[in-house]
Amino acid sequence: MLENPGWLFVGATLLPLASFLVLFIGGKHWGRAAGWIATAAIGAAFVLSLIGAALYLPYSGLFAHHHHDHHHVAGHEKHPHHHGQAQKSSHEHSHEHVTLAQREPGVPPWQAGLIWARVSTGGPGQATALRLGFYVDGLTVAMFVMITLVATLIHIFSTGYMAEELQVEVHDHQSHVVRAGRYPRFFTYMSLFCFSMLNLVLADNLFQIFISWELVGICSYLLIGYYYERRSASNAANKAFITNRVGDAGFIIGAAILWTYCGTLTLHDTVREQKNAEGQLVRVVEPGLFSRLRMPATDSHGTPLPGQLDEYIGNFARVEPILARGSSDAVTRYRFSSSGPYVLLFTTDHFHGEDLVLDDGISASTSPSATGLSVMPYWALVLAGVGVFLGCVGKSAQFPLHVWLPDAMEGPTPVSALIHAATMVAAGVYLVGRAFPMFTPEVLLLIAYVGAITLFVAATIALVQTDIKKVLAYSTVSQLGFMMLALGVGGWIAGLFHLLTHAFFKALLFLGSGSVIHGCHHEQDMMKMGGLYDKMKITALTMLVGVLAIAGAPLFSGWYSKDAIMVSALAFVVHYPQHMLLFLLPLITVAMTAFYMFRLWYLTFTGEPRDEHVYEHAHESPAVMTVPLIVLAFFSVTVAWGWPPWDAHASALEHYLDHEMPIYLHPDPDNRQVDKFLAPVRKYAEQPEAFPNVQLPEPHALAGLLALLSAGIGFLLATTIYYWGYLDPEGTRQQFARVYDFLWEKWHFDELYRWIAVRPALVLARVCRWFDLNVIDGLVDGSARATVRVSQWDGKFDLGIIDGLVNLTADVIYAVGAWLRNVQTGFLRNYVLFLALAAVGIFALVSYILALVG
Amino acid sequence: MSVGDILFWIVGLTTALCAVMVVVTQHIVRCAIWLLFTLAGTAGLFFLLGLDFLGATQLFVYVGGTLVLVIFGVMLTATGPFIQLRAGAGEWAIAIIVGLLLYGLIALSWLFADWSKLPGSALPDDPRRMYHTEQLGRALLGDTSVQPSSVLPGVSGSRAAADKASGKLPEPPKRQASAFLLPFEIVSVHLLVVLIGAAYLARAKRKRVVMAPRESL
Amino acid sequence: MGNVGLTQYLLIGAVLFVSGVVCMAIKRNAIGVLMGVELVLNGATVNFAAFARFHEAFRVEGQIFALFTIVLAAAEAAIALAIVLNFYNNYLTVDVDSAEELKG
Repeated sequence: MLENPGWLFVGATLLPLASFLVLFIGGKHWGRAAGWIATAAIGAAFVLSLIGAALYLPYSGLFAHHHHDHHHVAGHEKHPHHHGQAQKSSHEHSHEHVTLAQREPGVPPWQAGLIWARVSTGGPGQATALRLGFYVDGLTVAMFVMITLVATLIHIFSTGYMAEELQVEVHDHQSHVVRAGRYPRFFTYMSLFCFSMLNLVLADNLFQIFISWELVGICSYLLIGYYYERRSASNAANKAFITNRVGDAGFIIGAAILWTYCGTLTLHDTVREQKNAEGQLVRVVEPGLFSRLRMPATDSHGTPLPGQLDEYIGNFARVEPILARGSSDAVTRYRFSSSGPYVLLFTTDHFHGEDLVLDDGISASTSPSATGLSVMPYWALVLAGVGVFLGCVGKSAQFPLHVWLPDAMEGPTPVSALIHAATMVAAGVYLVGRAFPMFTPEVLLLIAYVGAITLFVAATIALVQTDIKKVLAYSTVSQLGFMMLALGVGGWIAGLFHLLTHAFFKALLFLGSGSVIHGCHHEQDMMKMGGLYDKMKITALTMLVGVLAIAGAPLFSGWYSKDAIMVSALAFVVHYPQHMLLFLLPLITVAMTAFYMFRLWYLTFTGEPRDEHVYEHAHESPAVMTVPLIVLAFFSVTVAWGWPPWDAHASALEHYLDHEMPIYLHPDPDNRQVDKFLAPVRKYAEQPEAFPNVQLPEPHALAGLLALLSAGIGFLLATTIYYWGYLDPEGTRQQFARVYDFLWEKWHFDELYRWIAVRPALVLARVCRWFDLNVIDGLVDGSARATVRVSQWDGKFDLGIIDGLVNLTADVIYAVGAWLRNVQTGFLRNYVLFLALAAVGIFALVSYILALVG
Repeated sequence: MSVGDILFWIVGLTTALCAVMVVVTQHIVRCAIWLLFTLAGTAGLFFLLGLDFLGATQLFVYVGGTLVLVIFGVMLTATGPFIQLRAGAGEWAIAIIVGLLLYGLIALSWLFADWSKLPGSALPDDPRRMYHTEQLGRALLGDTSVQPSSVLPGVSGSRAAADKASGKLPEPPKRQASAFLLPFEIVSVHLLVVLIGAAYLARAKRKRVVMAPRESL
Repeated sequence: MGNVGLTQYLLIGAVLFVSGVVCMAIKRNAIGVLMGVELVLNGATVNFAAFARFHEAFRVEGQIFALFTIVLAAAEAAIALAIVLNFYNNYLTVDVDSAEELKG
């Protein structure tokens, strides 16, 4: 067998790149062949990924040991931190020098790499290298299979969907421009897109990830702006690109901080062969970011660290400097303290655990100069985490940078499917999962709250959209929020599990909507559809599968992953009740998800046709489009199945990911390296019986029941309104005209950014112009003019500011009074509602404050 | 699950369902019938709790009195078009949402509440330890030496006595029973005032003063 | 579900209470509103009774207060019906929405 099967994945990554290069150089006039080349490349990549996955499976959790005891073993095998692969032998002879360990060929994680640039950080002899390498563990494998499978299906679908681009002249029905068809160009970009995403998943260091990150950004720019003759499309492409720049600025700041203090951007440890003085080949373990930041359980010689440090093992070792009087090394002595302003950075060689505890009466202190370790400020670590997360916020369209994603609908529908399901937006969630061990508790909370706000805001907006693709776009934003929330509350498995299941049903939904749009001749407004079920049965039924999956109907893949997320959130709020919102917001949003998805389906496929013209011309799509739909529908149902399927927590995929979880999250009693912030949460989620004093039913049962109930309410509401027609949507809309407008305008985010970003830029320009005209010219024109101007300004000040303030006060009070007048409706029944609402509000507020205080 | 538990779920869920039906039903007379079932179901819950006097009162006062009064009201005012007054779709939606919020809030606080922090201890699962009519009456009159009855009406005396003899029925801890004489009197007076007030309000119509148009003056 | 205890009774009481509130908010018929009030009071009574049964500290008080509540509900029904009849005499309808003189 292959000595290092990781190269299979490198091959899978390079195939789309080759396809891109070939098409870019010569594919301009190849027509249909261009589509088949790109499809063949990504299809071959899929086959390679499958082979790689098959080779990986024997090492995965599915075939390893029993669920609980393999955590421990796996943790050691999988995480060669601090001691290379010699963990097994170090159990027996724990004092062996383990950096000389032999690594068994063919055992994951598969990694290799090369250095393509060396940069000196300025420290004595501390040259650090920029790496090009790969790191393949179970998460990489799962992501590869998912990305290549979904991308292959999307490619096949596109060969049908983009067929009209094959014509010599295409009439753009929106911009009314007649232009040349550009079928090959589409597939050129798609290949580059796939390569970028695969490379991102494959990379073993932050810098390589950042390169792919930018490549993904430019591909999205090119593909969203594919119909660049349309003003809206080119604007949307700009918006996506610029919004992502904001996030990427954060990413590069975070990476720069880590580079400066840690001297490496590699995430995991790397094993390198080097010749020593005697000319023998020895293997050197170089520490990755994670082993630099988190305290290992053993020192570099395999000796367990002293017991006083138990509190810090597996966590960030926070220290504070000791100011000893009269001592020359006052600044180089540090004391361990859970709130210290510095973090100790570890290495994998040449430090002794006993050096960490100096015995001079102080319980635990250290002197980095003695141990060869260094320190970095804690705030810098938090800032680095926030920065990297900001990059993920931009890519994964999280609040407040979510505005680009709905506009990205301007691209061709297969692109939307690719962006939304498998590539771009998945990148952010993937990176948060990949870089998870470097996030401090503060950053994790930020992630959870950003996710919670995003999922709620996006779902409310999706409730009122009428463009079929916009609804799906906001549902993606919302589902990504679910994933971020799950990661933030420590549900590492839940977040990535949902990422994988979501990829399938969201691709299905987008391709289904593409089929509808294709069949209706580019009509996207659901208000003009209706009754299409008879015309396109396959599309309707496959989309129904997608709707059921995203709504979380039992036995569909979304049910398993959403359940896992709700359990994580519940376990978190039980331990940190002041963050109750992190459970309540997703619970409400589950109902909203079911509501807007069924609304979409009912509006499109059931009822009376609302637009005769559209209905007359509607037709089912060709087989090249419906077959991917059926395949995706199959996976949308079964991808998360385990045995038995009706047990929400027996999912095979979830157990597979369970094995890949960072060791810091394993709540086993004999794992010393647990994260102290999240360990109790994980323990409660997995073994609630260990917490007899928590007066709640079992978290799995409770969270699952509540989520199902919530989804059921959403489904019933949608059915009542849009299927049975029992409640009149128009009447409801008028009832809540204000709320409706607010949601229709997407919470006014676009206006907000116009005010805080676009307008200030224009104002600044005007100020400069004014400065030029008045100050510079004014100086020239002499003081007389200036005097006149000053008195004029004075008059304006009097009239504008002084009088204005007085009038403003009166106006505000009048407006407030006029608005408050609306509350007094005079209807008895409204007063009852106000009372009930006020009771809810006050109670929630008081309990929230109490939870914050206590 | 014991027989009592199964009974509780049957009676409790029926009661809850009937209450929801009161809300959902549009026809006011049917509403009243659902309300009747709800009130009777509540009485059933009291019986299940072992509070027989309370259950009987509920049946007498509510089902026998209040509900009849309500049905009178329906009959006196139900004329043609007013029987079915429908609320708008939006009002339904908002009311249901507020209702769900309120229920969620209450249910969550019940689920999260830690009852062990209440003063006193939780009572063992034994309905025979309840206060029955006699003890209630004495408590109302301020008799502080009230003890729970050891004999449950309907349970044969011999068994209860045997339990007591064999020490299966532990003596409850001594506690100061509150005197409820004053509140009892206040409620009585209140009821009297209310009845007089109701009679005054609902008595035969006063002469209606018809204002003549100003022009004719 | 577990054993039937205090919480289960309280949850049923909460259903009655919330049904009552929604009933008050939704019925345009004044008698319907009155029924809502009865439901709310019933919910409270169930709570009192449940505490009386399951907790030492409320053994007497729970029952006594439940009794008071029943009496109060009866009194309330009487007076409310009187008001409804009067309302009907004045407006010739029992639609509470027609009484909106308090509109701001």
